[in-house]
Amino acid sequence: MTGKEKVLAVLNKEKIDSIPWLPFAGVHAGKLKGYTAREVSTDAEKLIKSLREVNKLYKPDGQPVMFDLQIEAEILGCDLVWSEDAPPTVASHPLSESTDIPDTIPAATDGRIPLSIEAMKAMKAEFGDTTALYGLITGPFTLSSHLRGTNIFMDMIMNPDYVKDLLSYCVKVAKAVSGYYIEAGMDVIAVVDPLISQISPDHFEEFMAVPFAEVFDFIRSSGAKSSFFVCGNATANIAPMCKTNPDSISVDENVDLAAAKKVTDEHNIVIGGNIPLTSVMLFGTQQDNMKNTVDLIDSVDNTDLLIIAPGCDMPYDIPVENTIGVQQAVHQTEQIREMVKNYEGSEIEFEGELPDYANLEKPFIEVFTLDSITCAACTYMKASAVDIKEHFGDKVDMVEYKYTEPQNIARCKVMEVKQLPSIYINGKLKYSSIIPNRSEFIAEVEKCL
Amino acid sequence: MADFEKISELMQKGKADEVKQLCADALEEGVNPKDVLDKALLAAMNIVGEKFKNNEVFVPEVLIAARAMNFGLEVLKPAMVDDDIEEIGKVVIGTVKGDLHDIGKNLVKIMFEGKGLTVIDLGADVSADKFVEAAVNEGANIIACSALLTTTMTQMESVVKAAEDAGIRDKVTIMVGGAPVTEKFCDSIGADIYTADAATASEKALEACSK
Ligand code: B1M
Repeated sequence: MTGKEKVLAVLNKEKIDSIPWLPFAGVHAGKLKGYTAREVSTDAEKLIKSLREVNKLYKPDGQPVMFDLQIEAEILGCDLVWSEDAPPTVASHPLSESTDIPDTIPAATDGRIPLSIEAMKAMKAEFGDTTALYGLITGPFTLSSHLRGTNIFMDMIMNPDYVKDLLSYCVKVAKAVSGYYIEAGMDVIAVVDPLISQISPDHFEEFMAVPFAEVFDFIRSSGAKSSFFVCGNATANIAPMCKTNPDSISVDENVDLAAAKKVTDEHNIVIGGNIPLTSVMLFGTQQDNMKNTVDLIDSVDNTDLLIIAPGCDMPYDIPVENTIGVQQAVHQTEQIREMVKNYEGSEIEFEGELPDYANLEKPFIEVFTLDSITCAACTYMKASAVDIKEHFGDKVDMVEYKYTEPQNIARCKVMEVKQLPSIYINGKLKYSSIIPNRSEFIAEVEKCL
Repeated sequence: MADFEKISELMQKGKADEVKQLCADALEEGVNPKDVLDKALLAAMNIVGEKFKNNEVFVPEVLIAARAMNFGLEVLKPAMVDDDIEEIGKVVIGTVKGDLHDIGKNLVKIMFEGKGLTVIDLGADVSADKFVEAAVNEGANIIACSALLTTTMTQMESVVKAAEDAGIRDKVTIMVGGAPVTEKFCDSIGADIYTADAATASEKALEACSK
């Protein structure tokens, strides 16, 4: 099955024997190609190159094109503050002092929608057969708050009709933008609404039930699948969210996935989540990421109607090897479970002997991989080393150590290898996770000849 | 006789006009305004804070209760004699530079006010210098910084540094909080107090001011 087939099968509520993996690489995609968050948020070419790299290294079954909740707001008059290592942020609210309801509906040619559409079309052409593509729109409640500011919370109690009218307007915007993205080839439309975590289930029923159901109906009738993304502690709202009838729901680490899954299972809705973004993905080691993912998969009653994804938009600086670790743990759960066990079992002693790196006869290239057959990034890393070995022939030595062998795990510990895949030359770390280009790799080896 | 319980209940429901009226009635009856404040309004805010902490009420309910509290305060304040309005402590609060999440900060502010502290709100996206400048100008006892992003929490260290540079570090208590912040982080940057939620923050702030 291709990744796309897996995602669509699960969203069609079919039972399959693997779990789809959906890395939410928004601006983080830029990191893979050395572009800043601002560059991938404003330059189609750089964005597409970065998304291609995400597809190559992270082997996603499904992939978002842009994770930017400011696209609609910017068009509708909110000022944005830009950042090099995070998506832009809304800094002003055009309706903060007025209770007018706008009537402008963003056109496909407005603001950064053309950039988004261009990237969608390019991704569709290249990966449309193999990867389920996600178009993300700003949910009606979060868009309302972008326009009105946090007054919206008080309005819910003091001026409920106004809130309902503003939400209806934002539903029109949501439908228009979803329409553009579906036309550009998106398989799934994710309605992203972090603010939903901040209101009670009663308020959800009163204000959100109808507008969200309308958006999901529209997406369904336009031939795409849908997802309801929320961030924050939305535990109390999982059941009401299910009742708006999206095909899937995605939650962050503030929600207990296993408990929430019992609720979504009752409604026959797919749930996605929720690798912790900060404590694990950003600050943890590759081992932590693999372990966390295996534990997460083990925590749920059953793995039907399940997608594994980061909690929300991935921070820009997440180490690449951490995401690779998660990907391996989703796609090769059994193998990674063993690796984690072997790594944790401190009893494995390294039985071999490390080379005398200071006195080698010729340059020695060592490739450490999770498994160069199943892990895409490892395959590329290994291939680049094989290529270099061919280039230099007998003048260099090259070896691969796969992490699937307990003795190789022990070797990694002794050599303090922290990230896989990595390439060491003469015992020193030269490349990790990001594949070196050929000429720099050759130059590096030549220095050691 | 004024029914503190009733005022508290109405305040928790955000019934601002009723709260205002009952506060006015209480004053008519000759009840000490300080008692109405402590036993009705601030008591109600404490309950709201606890309920929010336990996920029983959400952001709109807290904001609306705070509004009702302010309606009550409006009638009580002019009636209070000078010794009633003893200043318990002054706090400058804001969300740090680069960060525009302000919901949590606003709730912390409300809880501080619920403890009778005077709060100067600098808003969101506040630079370290601005925090310190306000603290100096206002003679604040506490600088309270909120951050919701891992990329912005490091700004808190700049606030500590700026307070040192301005020579006020030993005069102000620096409090930090927000989802990604931890006790360990607080210690590592040399701030004074970390709390995980708004209700606890207000208790600690009160303690710090009464030292
Ligand atoms: C001084 O002493 C103290 C003591 C205690 C203190 C304190 C200070 N400050 C707070 N506390 C404590 O008391 C409060 C009450 O008990 C608590 O405050 P909190 O603020 O934690 O709680 C509030 C009452 C309710 N909680 C909140 O208001 C935050 C909820 C979540 C869902 C959230 C929201 C709502 C928003 N967001 Co944002 N957002 C998320 C949040 C998810 C989460 N897990 O927290 C988080 C924080 N956001 C995130 C991101 C990435 C972003 N957000 C962004 C935007 C937004 C919205 C505008 C949509 C909206 C903010 C609206 C507003 N005016 O504040 C963007 C950045 C904006 C910026 N530069 O500031 C953007 C970059 C999103 C994007 N891709 O565009 C994530 C941060 C990841 C990270 N670790 O760095 C995030 C954790 C969501 C996620 N799971 O990915 C305590 O922490």
